[in-house]
Amino acid sequence: MEKEQYQQLEQNVTPKPPYFKNVAKAFLVGGLICTIGQAVSLFYIIFFDFTEATAGNPTVATMVFFAMILTGFGLYKKIGQFAGAGSAVPVTGFGNAVISAAIEHRSEGLVLGVGGNLFKLAGSVVLFGVVSAFFVALIKFILVTIGVVSW
Amino acid sequence: MKLLGMMLPLLVSLSLLSGCGEKEKVIVYGSPENEKEVEAVLKEEDYVDKTTVIQYDNSMLVAVQIKPWDKWKKAKLEKKLQKKFDEKYPSKDVFVSADYKIFYEANKIKREQVEDNKLKDKIKKLKKLAKEET
Amino acid sequence: MVIVFQSKPSLIAGGVVAGPLEKRSIFSQYFDANYDDERWQMKTNEQGHRKMVEEACEFAMKKAGVKKTDIDYFMGGDLVNQMTPTNFAARDLDIPFIGLFSACATSISSIIVASLLTEVGASNFALAGASSQHNAVERQFRYPINYGSQKPQTAQWTVTAAGYALIGKHHEEYPSIEAATVGKSVDYGMDDPFHMGAAMAPAAFQTIQSHLAQRNQKIYHYDLILTGDLGQLGLKLLKGMFVESGIKSEELTPLRDAGAEFYGQDETFQSGASGAGCSAAVFLSYVIQQMRAGTFKRVLLVATGALLSPLTFQQGETIPCTAHAIEITMK
Repeated sequence: MEKEQYQQLEQNVTPKPPYFKNVAKAFLVGGLICTIGQAVSLFYIIFFDFTEATAGNPTVATMVFFAMILTGFGLYKKIGQFAGAGSAVPVTGFGNAVISAAIEHRSEGLVLGVGGNLFKLAGSVVLFGVVSAFFVALIKFILVTIGVVSW
Repeated sequence: MKLLGMMLPLLVSLSLLSGCGEKEKVIVYGSPENEKEVEAVLKEEDYVDKTTVIQYDNSMLVAVQIKPWDKWKKAKLEKKLQKKFDEKYPSKDVFVSADYKIFYEANKIKREQVEDNKLKDKIKKLKKLAKEET
Repeated sequence: MVIVFQSKPSLIAGGVVAGPLEKRSIFSQYFDANYDDERWQMKTNEQGHRKMVEEACEFAMKKAGVKKTDIDYFMGGDLVNQMTPTNFAARDLDIPFIGLFSACATSISSIIVASLLTEVGASNFALAGASSQHNAVERQFRYPINYGSQKPQTAQWTVTAAGYALIGKHHEEYPSIEAATVGKSVDYGMDDPFHMGAAMAPAAFQTIQSHLAQRNQKIYHYDLILTGDLGQLGLKLLKGMFVESGIKSEELTPLRDAGAEFYGQDETFQSGASGAGCSAAVFLSYVIQQMRAGTFKRVLLVATGALLSPLTFQQGETIPCTAHAIEITMK
């Protein structure tokens, strides 16, 4: 059998990923996580001296804490398998990426294991997040300077 | 899909709940002298959803909530409103905030009928809070 | 290309141990032991992996009533970097040892080497097999265990299991190894590490076809042709290839796949099981026991292996695969 012929056969046999179903699941779970996040944020605003602007930090910390608990008990991977991007995109997904790497590499010690591999998966998120933030700010700065928009 | 079936009725009932129960949109608390006037000023701005205004001595705390889509421009609208009030009441010390915390506390002040001496401290604290940055 | 063993070395016994999740396997009743702790009470996954290899060997030796000192050679391998679990197990077993790597096809390649050693008279008893430990292998090839990524339907689940066979001189009462085919490294341009079945199916096809052609056999000469870990989709593809080569689909009934059947119809495991331990565990428990019970008279075991590493995948290389086969008969 020729390669092309086999690739044709492979295309026919392999089931197409259920895109619509995946999108719906991601929307629901992602929305649920964000709703919980909003509730946590409101909790900090109402019961503590945080404003909408300052409540972000403790909220993110709390959501990452939740992700840590779920990852530690092996539940986050199950949510991830069901929700896909829905649980990967919110900050809990970032937390999961960091924490799962930390748990995984605990056996190689604290410095070289956990320290060296903590950002194995999340490192590129941090890097490209910072880089893209820089370029977005740069573009806005240029637009403001030439007078297209204001700050 | 099972989950979707479970979630759907819940979502529908939630959206129905929030649909009814229209509350008083503009609330002015404190000295009632220019109540109507302040109300009129705020009603001119169509991006304002709900407001609570607290007046005391020569100061005014304007806590507004901005409509969802206009929230993108929250900081700008806040500034715009501040300018408008400053021009309208040049003799008064007006503080405008679109932050939910300030709005929530303002409502609490109204609800609990906080006395004048405590009010000052409280509002001072809120102003400080609103200026805090992350 | 096909190796015919004149002395017909015997598969005297098989020792198979598996992890906790493998209790859900439809083959678990044939395993010698299922442990509740996937680390075997050791500190790390890799140490547990090593322990698993040792225990599988112990079971194989115990069944045949031989001691460590009676064993002449130890052949084996796994999927971890530099095969340390097997290498370390060899240190503790204290038997002359060659580590072999054919990815998940190691279970058969090691049996082939052990049979050759027996054939030339160098070995009275040899241990041969392979193993894989889910956690140790996943971190090697994919993501951390608890990372919440969505695996596609084509993905397979690495098995925690070790299977080792005791190969000795010919004896009537045991299944005998008649012939073997060493597979080529076949690459049909598949590059998805979450769709290994598709990458490995052509290798299995080539090996089976070449074995049958050179042995002058047809599929119906076999009671069972069992591939290692193609998974449900891989098996479908393999059958599709046979159909395209002109064989009627009714004739393909002896064709089965250990990986596709391993976890039954459980959807948690997507396309089925994989890993060196998958083929080793099923071949050396279920198949041997069924042969001794008389269910199967002639069996072709085809272990398939995807010869990739995370490095080659990230560098955009396609996945070359191999498949090794042994023909076993029982009087």
